[in-house]
Amino acid sequence: MSQAARSRAPAEAGAPALRMKGITKTFGDFVALDEVDFDLRNGEIHALLGENGAGKSTLMNVVAGLYAPDHGDIEVQGTPVRISGPQDARLLGIGMVHQHYKLVGGFTALENIMLFNPRGSFRQSRTAVRTAAADAADKLGFRVDLDARMDRLSVPEQQRVEIMKILIAGASIIILDEPTAVLTDAEAQKFFAAMRGLAEIGNSVVLVTHRLSEALSYADRITVMRGGRRIRTAHPEEVDADTLTELIVGTRIVEKPAPSEHVGAPVLTVSGLELTDAGGVVRLRGVTLDLHAGEIYCLAGIGGNGQTELVEALTGLVPPDAGRIDLAGHGKVTGLPPDRLRRLGLACIPSDRQGQALAGDLTVAENFAIGGVLAGRFGGALAVRRKPMAEAAAAAVRDFEVMGVRSARQKAGLLSGGNAQKLVIAREFSGAPSVIVAHSPSRGLDVRAAAAVHGHLRAARDRKAAVLLISEDLDEVLLLADRIGVMRSGRIVAEFPGGTDRRTIGRAMVGHD
Amino acid sequence: MTEAQDLPGRAAAAPATGRRRGRWPHLALEVRQHMPGPQQALMLGASLVAGIAISTLVLVAAGVPAGNLLDEFVISIFTRPRNLANVLVYTAPLVIVGLAAAVAFRARFWNIGIEGQMIFGAIGATLIANHDIGPEGARLYLMAATAAFAGMVWMLVPALLKLRLEVNEIISTLLLNYVAFNFLLFLLYGPWKDPQSAFPHSKMYDAAERLTRIGFFNVDTSIYLAFALAVGCFLLLVVSRFGFLLNFVHANPKMARAMGVRVAVLVLSAALVSAALAGVAGFVISAGIDNRMTQSFFVGYGFSGILIGFLARNNPVLVVFFAALIAVLMVAGQGLQVFYQIPSSMVLLIQAIIVICAAASEFLIRYRLRLVR
Repeated sequence: MSQAARSRAPAEAGAPALRMKGITKTFGDFVALDEVDFDLRNGEIHALLGENGAGKSTLMNVVAGLYAPDHGDIEVQGTPVRISGPQDARLLGIGMVHQHYKLVGGFTALENIMLFNPRGSFRQSRTAVRTAAADAADKLGFRVDLDARMDRLSVPEQQRVEIMKILIAGASIIILDEPTAVLTDAEAQKFFAAMRGLAEIGNSVVLVTHRLSEALSYADRITVMRGGRRIRTAHPEEVDADTLTELIVGTRIVEKPAPSEHVGAPVLTVSGLELTDAGGVVRLRGVTLDLHAGEIYCLAGIGGNGQTELVEALTGLVPPDAGRIDLAGHGKVTGLPPDRLRRLGLACIPSDRQGQALAGDLTVAENFAIGGVLAGRFGGALAVRRKPMAEAAAAAVRDFEVMGVRSARQKAGLLSGGNAQKLVIAREFSGAPSVIVAHSPSRGLDVRAAAAVHGHLRAARDRKAAVLLISEDLDEVLLLADRIGVMRSGRIVAEFPGGTDRRTIGRAMVGHD
Repeated sequence: MTEAQDLPGRAAAAPATGRRRGRWPHLALEVRQHMPGPQQALMLGASLVAGIAISTLVLVAAGVPAGNLLDEFVISIFTRPRNLANVLVYTAPLVIVGLAAAVAFRARFWNIGIEGQMIFGAIGATLIANHDIGPEGARLYLMAATAAFAGMVWMLVPALLKLRLEVNEIISTLLLNYVAFNFLLFLLYGPWKDPQSAFPHSKMYDAAERLTRIGFFNVDTSIYLAFALAVGCFLLLVVSRFGFLLNFVHANPKMARAMGVRVAVLVLSAALVSAALAGVAGFVISAGIDNRMTQSFFVGYGFSGILIGFLARNNPVLVVFFAALIAVLMVAGQGLQVFYQIPSSMVLLIQAIIVICAAASEFLIRYRLRLVR
């Protein structure tokens, strides 16, 4: 029977592949999982929904052998098992693709797969794995250059390598943590087609996600978790998005568009911005736009069309090759360094939260206060005053409802995504900025946290700030925009008023006019 | 069902079963969410104790009677004033090089060139001494300042190479040590050879060019200087705005830059302060211990400085503590060499054991070991 766990031959469809009973896991006095039952059938795609911190990832980490549960029973293909390490999980045919890929950048795709699947000598292994990889890629309909270095591959390609890696290791229970957070709609569709193919030959797939629409359209069953407990398991036909939202957050959250009541004069004017990156790729080809006081200008577009570079140019991280940026009342600000721009009233919510917005090893108070310290608050050059800093941070934590902060001296890296983002916003808004650049501020956040972020952006707009919201999520764009620009291939190819039809915008994004 | 194949390395080929090691209790690793500060300190303390225990075993194996170790390392140090004085004499330069390492490491600038900067510091000080520049009353201050300046000049090369051309500073600072050393040999065998003895060291410093003794055996004022510099570094790294921002450069340079921190300026400043400290350390040894510039005054201090900075986690207060600990080791090690014919490399071995244990505690802070039954 142990062979069944490994084999890719169709297991008995509908029979439980994985059954967890009464799983409890605590960290200190925090109960991450509280008597959770979960079952996964052979041949199904099972969506696991919940807010950040609901326990989804912890539960799946228990399955993957990263955490040992305090108590509870696990069965794989009907046999009771104990999974005390990733090795065990692998031998049981369990494979997990983490949200942050576990790949070695300097290695090729093939070498990364080999690293995970040692088979005899290096040479033998290379041949065996190459065959197996080609086979797997074929079955899944993936096209991956096995000899390309990992850091040269795009994010979707890296994801494919991750999936091939675990399949070649013999995984029949496949756990995917937020797999589509990095994919465009079209890529996600292809991805799900491949996953469906895997399920049809008897594998089972767990899909950990925030996106209700994905769960509803691609999953066979949906389990909702909240506060470390399993709330409900249902078939997609039995529930709709509203019910799911309610199950996930415990209350009803409905966001409605609220257009600006007063759009003022232009605050930031950008004209003819051009930028070629260090690799010689032209990223910006004459971007022209203006932001008005009291409006949210949404820049829609598929990621990688120059959004990141535009943010870098606007915030002073990379001077543009040509073009100019003007700030009302200050004239030309092109090429000024970040500290100067911030002093003139620019704030930024970067897309890479832990990478560019926070220093995870430093405290909540420090991460909050650095903006103020740079602006000359919290003591002079000789002595930074910690006490007012901690007090201001504590006040901001209250005002912006940053949860999970036990003390201002806690490390910022311990905050969940939504709370980390709230902390970033608290800091960025504390200087009453006149221009706010927000790049995918609600990416990876649950419904409630995203709504809070949206609320803060609207509040800033109502304070007469000019907000540039760069987003790949059309729902978000339609919800918030007073004006919409579409970015494609380093240009703004179209502009629409708020409330424009979704399809019109979508067409401009992909270039089928 | 086949049972319990414990064959590491062949696991992938073995039939799958979760009961592979099921019957035997074994250790499993688990990522920790967070460990509170006091517990971390305790962990570091415990690992130091473990390091000392292993070192004890090594020394006993090398032929030092176990019963004498306590005497050599603790009792003789703290009961015989002469030994205590020796510890203080070594402590002063160790504190300064430890601070040099700590300041640079705070900026993630891996200054491996402390010895080269010490050499240039000593050369700067000796230049002033040899040519009797400045009034005698200000001579020592001038020597110290020149030493600091010379250290910085030597650092300018790797620092600018890193900031302008992204040349790895580990390589450049390390290699410049050899350049500095050969320049030192050139001076000592050439223009600066002692005219009286014709030995390859500089001529003896005049009385006004030597650090004054404080009246406790051979301990000189460098110990005061070391403590003052430690306080200075504490103010710089922990209290000042520079230190606050430097923490961000250390924790996440990308984020610091995006927030508007002038990262390059901060890194350059930290590297220069580090080199200035190293230069002063060279001056302290020359003007305090040797009374001249010798051709080997710096040997071992670069490594010790890095080690102290690492053990102290770049904290100036802890630097003082660990510098004293290393000084005790050095003095006790000399005793062992004399009385038990233990090779001098044994002292380095013990230093290494302690460092490895401290590094291991880092692992236990990040991961939890669980006994699985």
